[in-house]
Amino acid sequence: MATENIPASSEAIGPEEDFTYVEGVGKIPRDIYKYVKSDPLGDLPRYSYHIVIQHFVTFVTFLVLAATGLTLHFADLWWAPIIMKLFGGIDMARVIHRVAAFLMVVASIYHISTILGGTFYKIMKKQFDFRRTQIPCLKDARDIVHDIKYFLGKEKNRPKMEKFMYKQKLHYIAILWGTFVLVSAGTTLLFPELMATIWPNPRFAQDLARLMHADEAIMAITVIVFWHWSNVHLVPGRFPLQWSFLTGKITREHQIEEHFLEYIRNLDEFPEEKEYIKKVLKEKGFETN
Amino acid sequence: MSLKIALKNYFILFLPAITIMLFMPATSFSADIGNCLLCHKYPGISRVDEEGKLKLFYVNEDIFNNSVHAKVKCDGCHTDIKEIPHKHAIKVDCLVECHIIEPASKKKFSHKDVQTFINKSVHGVIDNKGKEKKFKEDFPTCKSCHDNPLYRPISFFKRVRPGISEQSLGRCRVCHKSEDFIYRSYNHVTTRLHPLNIAGVCAKCHNDLALVTRHGLSTKAVYSYGETFHGKAASFLDERIPNCLDCHVSKGESVHQMLTHKDPNASTSEQNKGKICTTIDCHPSASPKLAKYGVHSEFNLTQSPAQYFFTVFFIVLTGGTLLPLMVIIFLDIVRRFFPNASIGGRK
Ligand code: HEC
Ligand code: HEC
Ligand code: HEC
Ligand code: HEC
Ligand code: HEC
Repeated sequence: MATENIPASSEAIGPEEDFTYVEGVGKIPRDIYKYVKSDPLGDLPRYSYHIVIQHFVTFVTFLVLAATGLTLHFADLWWAPIIMKLFGGIDMARVIHRVAAFLMVVASIYHISTILGGTFYKIMKKQFDFRRTQIPCLKDARDIVHDIKYFLGKEKNRPKMEKFMYKQKLHYIAILWGTFVLVSAGTTLLFPELMATIWPNPRFAQDLARLMHADEAIMAITVIVFWHWSNVHLVPGRFPLQWSFLTGKITREHQIEEHFLEYIRNLDEFPEEKEYIKKVLKEKGFETN
Repeated sequence: MSLKIALKNYFILFLPAITIMLFMPATSFSADIGNCLLCHKYPGISRVDEEGKLKLFYVNEDIFNNSVHAKVKCDGCHTDIKEIPHKHAIKVDCLVECHIIEPASKKKFSHKDVQTFINKSVHGVIDNKGKEKKFKEDFPTCKSCHDNPLYRPISFFKRVRPGISEQSLGRCRVCHKSEDFIYRSYNHVTTRLHPLNIAGVCAKCHNDLALVTRHGLSTKAVYSYGETFHGKAASFLDERIPNCLDCHVSKGESVHQMLTHKDPNASTSEQNKGKICTTIDCHPSASPKLAKYGVHSEFNLTQSPAQYFFTVFFIVLTGGTLLPLMVIIFLDIVRRFFPNASIGGRK
């Protein structure tokens, strides 16, 4: 069983936080990811095919929505008419935007059902472990501090993180919030005639919907472009892209670096992984058992 | 495109007027008073005015002949020019009687009536108590809104599209024999400005913050229109969307008779505005409540504080999340490039 509380033995390779002892393997140094080999297509499972499909639909519709929506929002800029022509004119763009929005809502509902269903199933089978979910906890805040210290050279290693580290959790919350805002504002804009009869103060509601839809969309686009793309595409070692979005698998190196605790669990789940890491440890001259 | 714009945009070859005159045959000086183009057809005809700006006096014959005023002779408008060569011309008065006979009344034609509509409208300089309004130089004259527009007819027979509908012309030919007359009359009643051009005309004043404040108006109207879906669709040249006139002119009245929305007779008054939205061309099945939406909303602190703070909230939220995240990713990347660097030593 993986545990972090095994006291460091006499021949410790460093302070306790720099390794994790695993029964049948030995002490796994925190920075072992620098020595492992990885298949670029991924070695260890990360996403079910449901999630892969949901991500795919979401990102394609997101790009389409952003392209058509921004063009309308910035209608008076020089490039807007050119892009609008590419989409086949304003009437066509309107239809495309709505179809994409519909598909995105479908993907969201699909996602919520798989998450709820999956959680329920795991609870029933007593396999549910909140540490392997997107639920934010205090540890994430500590990880951020630790990680920043590491980036500044004040820590030797990155924190030991779970399947979803603070970056992914922040991003996930952002998506939940963004989708909620965009879908509710978009619905108001989609049925102006109906909504005018429903809202107690139609002018205020319409103004807010217009503001929210555009502002939140611009926020989502900046976050995706600057943050998400930097993280998953531009960071050295990840460039130009990671295949997990199609294969649902994560590379061994990445798993150990950013999701160390999840990797330790993987060792229990996959005996061949245990054998592999043992081999690496031996090769590199670390003690094994 | 219009005559004035054509005048402005034409690539100017600066040739002093004298040069042209020098090279002109002597006979041209005794030219017929109507033959203005003898000189004005030369693209170089220009002069530097008192303010030091180059003014072009070139008249493009093709463009002029396709403009709505093509049938009017030059001296029908430039009435002060009586001899050639002529002196400095005075400004044209749009309300002069011109040489055209209006076919229905058989009288000499004039645009005087338009001025009476303007006088009754919010753009008139005299208020309904007979007093002159303040800042009267801010009020539009014919020439603030009009240049010499080109025909841009719309065909409406089976479908509405640009151009002339031969089917419609067939009906004219039953009674009218002159092809030229038929074409011009058809053009005349079907020509409309493009929505964007209309907004552009109004923008000169209604986007001018100083003017807007001077007159106690609540919005830079063309800007706020451009922020709505109406205005945005207009910038993609969608013809079906409402332009300023569709809402501000009561059906069947002259476009020159726009009233302030505080006037109960205005199409935009509180009582009437529901009817704008529900016209057959727009939202025929909508409830009049649709008119409660803001068509000129500006989200500034004084007028709509809630919307204003909402915008601020989103800006803060975007900046507040993105900046820290970018700092983290930046540090991460730097660290990957310099794995062994450290600030102040490792513990
Ligand atoms: C003999 C050549 C000639 C003819 C014919 C002529 N013009 Fe001109 N026109 C000129 C020149 C040259 C100028 C520039 C005058 C200057 O430099 O001040 C000019 C300037 C003008 C201007 C601008 C004047 C100003 O001071 O702003 C107008 C308007 C005008 N002409 C109208 C007419 C009309 C209308 C006719 C026909 C009735 C006509 N012109 C016939 C040569 C001519
Ligand atoms: C419908 C009336 C109308 C007709 C017809 C007309 N003009 Fe003009 N023209 C104007 C107006 C209005 C201006 C703008 C300057 C002003 O307000 O006087 C102008 C400006 C000009 C100018 C430039 C003057 C300047 O100050 O910039 C020239 C040159 C000129 N016209 C020549 C002609 C010639 C040549 C013809 C005949 C082919 C002609 N115009 C026919 C109304 C007319
Ligand atoms: C506030 C701006 C404004 C002013 C001032 C103005 N007009 Fe217009 N006028 C318009 C607009 C806008 C149209 C409609 C154009 C369209 O729909 O194609 C128009 C249309 C016209 C038409 C075409 C017939 C019609 O009513 O649609 C005539 C003729 C006309 N104007 C003459 C004049 C004259 C003469 C003056 C000066 C007394 C004048 N206008 C002042 C804005 C103005
Ligand atoms: C030359 C400047 C000028 C131009 C051009 C102009 N306006 Fe105006 N407009 C004014 C001024 C000044 C007022 C304020 C009148 C007052 O103080 O009573 C006004 C008032 C109005 C109002 C009434 C606002 C209210 O109180 O509800 C409307 C509507 C309007 N304009 C529409 C238009 C449209 C549409 C156009 C374009 C076709 C246009 N204007 C072009 C100067 C202009
Ligand atoms: C969809 C209909 C619609 C369109 C299009 C429209 N307006 Fe208005 N406008 C209104 C209504 C209704 C009001 C009355 C005030 C209100 O309800 O917001 C108004 C008010 C105004 C006012 C007075 C604002 C104030 O409170 O002082 C001006 C000026 C004005 N409009 C100009 C324009 C101009 C210029 C355009 C074209 C660019 C335009 N409008 C397009 C419907 C419209």
